[in-house]
Amino acid sequence: MRISFEDWQTVYCMASHRVGETSNHHNPYSVLQGINPTTNFINEEGSPFDFGELEEAIVLQGVKINNDEAKASFLTARPAATLEMFPSWPLRFHQTPRGSSKSGGESTDSGSAVNTLSSKAEAHLEPESPMASDGHGASLSQNQATQQAAKATAEKRKFGATGSTSDKVLDAKTLRRLAQNREAARKSRLRKKAYVQQLESSRIKLAQLEQDLQRARAQGLLLGGGGGASVSSGATIFDMEYGRWLDDDHRHVSELRAALQAHLPDGDLRVIVDGYVAHYDEIFRLKEVAAKSDVFHLITGMWTTPAERCFLWIGGFRPSELIKMLSTQIEPLTEQQIVGICGLQQSSQQAEEALSQGLEQLQQSLVDTIAGGSFNDGMHPMALAFAKLSNLEGFLRQADNLRQQTLHQLCRILTVRQAARCFLVIGEYYARLRALSSFWVSRPHRG
Amino acid sequence: MQYQTESWSSFLPTRSVDGDPLGRIEKLASENAVVVFSKSTCCMCHAIKRLFCGMGVNPTVYELDEDPRGKDLERALMRLLGSSSAVPVVFVGGKLVGAMDRVMASHINGTLVPLLKEAGALWL
Repeated sequence: MRISFEDWQTVYCMASHRVGETSNHHNPYSVLQGINPTTNFINEEGSPFDFGELEEAIVLQGVKINNDEAKASFLTARPAATLEMFPSWPLRFHQTPRGSSKSGGESTDSGSAVNTLSSKAEAHLEPESPMASDGHGASLSQNQATQQAAKATAEKRKFGATGSTSDKVLDAKTLRRLAQNREAARKSRLRKKAYVQQLESSRIKLAQLEQDLQRARAQGLLLGGGGGASVSSGATIFDMEYGRWLDDDHRHVSELRAALQAHLPDGDLRVIVDGYVAHYDEIFRLKEVAAKSDVFHLITGMWTTPAERCFLWIGGFRPSELIKMLSTQIEPLTEQQIVGICGLQQSSQQAEEALSQGLEQLQQSLVDTIAGGSFNDGMHPMALAFAKLSNLEGFLRQADNLRQQTLHQLCRILTVRQAARCFLVIGEYYARLRALSSFWVSRPHRG
Repeated sequence: MQYQTESWSSFLPTRSVDGDPLGRIEKLASENAVVVFSKSTCCMCHAIKRLFCGMGVNPTVYELDEDPRGKDLERALMRLLGSSSAVPVVFVGGKLVGAMDRVMASHINGTLVPLLKEAGALWL
């Protein structure tokens, strides 16, 4: 987590105010200034940053620094002190490529890092002199450092005026240390990147979870919803069951596709086809149960996708439309089969028409009851309306019955291979329709 | 569609034969090719009537709620079907077809039309 310079200032202000020792003012500041550019030191993943802890550490540090007298001692003391300022942060920021023991590696490398820090700070405290007095040496070391630290500007800053300004040639130990630091810095950056990516994906996941939670709460799935006064558990249970049914459907369709491509014998196909019919029988059964507790949820298609809902017929698909769609997709039929399919389409159309008219009469009757509001046959209008509404369950039941009978009849008319192909078409059709609905809903549009 | 109000009144005076509602149902069912027991307020009954009309069939309809002894018949039909709702019930050629679900299933699987033709309710 990157600590901005402003944050540092805020913290030390808080610290100084709390302690009331304004004489600390400069010392923590220089400490901060020394530390701040070395972002690699600070930006470690792991425990979340705790300002309270830092505040406390700064305060203590300020007290300690105040006690130091010589600048030199201040400088040498500081590196160790800076380490102590972050007690809870793991000292893992340097990992040697050779993989030495952790504690040993740390102490060595932290030492080297700190040396770099101190030398950097030294450069700050005596900014101009090394550069000015020994321009050639400085530029040489600078060039070397620049070449070595080609990738990161932080490294450039860190090593730009690297220590041992009196040495013109960097010794092997220093070179190795610099290389290690670079490596550590690089790894640190990679870890930081990975952490940030993780945070980003977690953020998205959190948003999705919140959405799901809101949806579930709206459906009364959570017990916080006031005893289910306005929500129906039957609906939510059905939605869950339907979700599972959709997963099963996907599985069945894949099985059908694979079986047809593999040209399995009819016996094997028969098993798969019967399985798909049973799969549809299952959803009709589930709907029948759910209708007892929430017929509106089913008949208005709240359990389906918006596109499906738009073309819904009494809580589901219109059988004659399905037959019409299939007749263009299934392979050549015998004359007898054509007659059978046409007959099926016609009879389902007639049945649909009858049910639709019956439902229309129900609606008209309900309108009369609600509008009239008078006692009829000694019944309170509300009770009468209730009785009429209860008929909805019957119509949904008959509509699903019609859908089920249509699918069964298809199986009787077609050969097993034709039926397999036919169910594959049905499965794929509705999968596409559901996908279309999802894409439509999530399409980018203005407003 | 024929609403048989006359045959009801023919039963009323002779109370000695009214002990068996089921017998009466069977008798009524055999009098016409297609017989539907219904209630005027029942929407599903309306649907079944529309179905037959749509097929070009002219069923004989008995509205149980308009009959003084409709309650007995209703109870008998409920026992016959083993269902909590007595209507609608369809008889074709004197034989029981069933309630709405059986009628629709038989129409979809293609057995209803031959049955209607056999009973003389359909000509094609």
